[in-house]
Amino acid sequence: MYLTVVSVNIGIFILLALSLNIITGYAGQPALGHAAFFGIGAYTSAILTTSYGMNFWLSIPFAFIMAGIMGGFLGLISIRMRDDFLAITSIGINFVVVAIFQYSDFFGGSLGISLKRPYFFGMKVTATGYLILIGLMILGTVLLILKMKRSWFGLALSSIRNDETAAASFGIDVNRYKVLAFTLGTAIAGMTGAVYAHHMTFIYSSDFAFIVSISILSMVVIGGIGTIRGPIFGAILLGAAPELFRFFADYRMIVYGGLLVFMMRFQSQGFLGYDSVLVRAFKKLFPGGLKKKEGEIIG
Amino acid sequence: MGELLRVEGLSKHFGGLKAINGLDLTLEEGETLGIIGPNGAGKTTLFNVICGVLKPTAGKVVLDGEEIQGLPSYKIAHRGVARTFQISKPLKDISIVDNVVASLGIHEYTGIRSLLRNSHKRETVDKALEILERTGLLEFKDKLAREVSLGYLRRLEIARALATNPRLIMLDEPCAGLSNFAINEVIDLVMQLKSEGKSIVLIEHNLPISMKVSDRITVLNYGQKIAEGIPEDIRNNPQVIEAYLGEDDDIA
Repeated sequence: MYLTVVSVNIGIFILLALSLNIITGYAGQPALGHAAFFGIGAYTSAILTTSYGMNFWLSIPFAFIMAGIMGGFLGLISIRMRDDFLAITSIGINFVVVAIFQYSDFFGGSLGISLKRPYFFGMKVTATGYLILIGLMILGTVLLILKMKRSWFGLALSSIRNDETAAASFGIDVNRYKVLAFTLGTAIAGMTGAVYAHHMTFIYSSDFAFIVSISILSMVVIGGIGTIRGPIFGAILLGAAPELFRFFADYRMIVYGGLLVFMMRFQSQGFLGYDSVLVRAFKKLFPGGLKKKEGEIIG
Repeated sequence: MGELLRVEGLSKHFGGLKAINGLDLTLEEGETLGIIGPNGAGKTTLFNVICGVLKPTAGKVVLDGEEIQGLPSYKIAHRGVARTFQISKPLKDISIVDNVVASLGIHEYTGIRSLLRNSHKRETVDKALEILERTGLLEFKDKLAREVSLGYLRRLEIARALATNPRLIMLDEPCAGLSNFAINEVIDLVMQLKSEGKSIVLIEHNLPISMKVSDRITVLNYGQKIAEGIPEDIRNNPQVIEAYLGEDDDIA
């Protein structure tokens, strides 16, 4: 039971890291307020199910859409801003959203919102149920990102990440694609929020604070920005560590911060990035990948 | 052969600085127009205004009868104007071939629907490889753009411009900072485009190169046109000699 609950939590972090990676890794937009959209999804779902009696399953697409719309607004703002200002603005948005959750009675104010466990065909959804649900969501998101990487959409984001002026010179509407990247990434975070709220059965504004955004960013950066394996690895590593080491739980922010600085200085691609030490070592050990074992040794 | 591009009374001011000041230009279909002028004459600003990177302060840019001034640059690209950058702007962390594929996709970037369409279909990649072969980049196809030297990045700029299948190619100092050998290769490439009937506007600092390639040359200084004509006339124009080299001097 304990292991299942921890796994669901790690799965939630994996989804958050993968979705932030669409914005920050693929489109190259520094966003430091991802938890706000996670929260918008969680509160959307919580209010729809508690105040309006909506079915949990139906509330998931609403959380997805609501967070996506709000994320699209951040994308619209980002159009007029340079990278560093966008980073600061997204932090500000995170604080504003948390403050609204905390001080508005509509969002439960300082009491938060308590939720009932949802049903699935007459059965209460258990921790295992959530684990399966989260697993399916991760699978769907990974498939979507794989599809994206092979598509013109993915190439447009790569172009924007590298050089916006160049991207526009061969016909990419940079503004439109930035908004789309923000919408897609934040919508997935919103969907995750709906599951989180019902899994925890209680949400409170500080669950979605700036510190959570930094944790998500740390997972992406430490795992390997702009890859699929990186954020998954980062989320597992940083999600499991507090459970394994008491020390880590107490000094979490110091460790995250320290790791971020260390990675930026010595391994800016993350542990599993395109050109990281681990990936290069792996390629040296298995030239041509794992499938071709008999392959000749390449210098 | 009709008129492809017309610039009318174009101005671009940055505060008090008149980078371009009441400029008129025309380009016939299939013509190569050289633009020369000393540093700070407004050549690159002119390109940036025509291509929509900057909005003009006043004046018109007419492409094939339609006014395009003030349109965003992606829309101007869709209308068939391709440009290269004086300071190369490669997509550094993707491969050379993907740089060209990205540019081949000019009409594929249709928003969320583009998520469903594969960017690396066989025919697209083949087309990219063909362009790389033409521009002498084939051997670097799998290298990341940040791993190749400036000379090859200059060619990549041209390759990417060609990939959009443009009606008008605007080249911003494609030879700057290259070795003599590399310069000759770029000249050959431009001559080849010319022989295919492409319309070209070429900014080139180096007079002999510009004279060799251009059908007609416009000389800019302080954002204004100080001379225009066939290369021989420009060579002997005293105003041009003065602007470039000071008075009483010969052009090598």
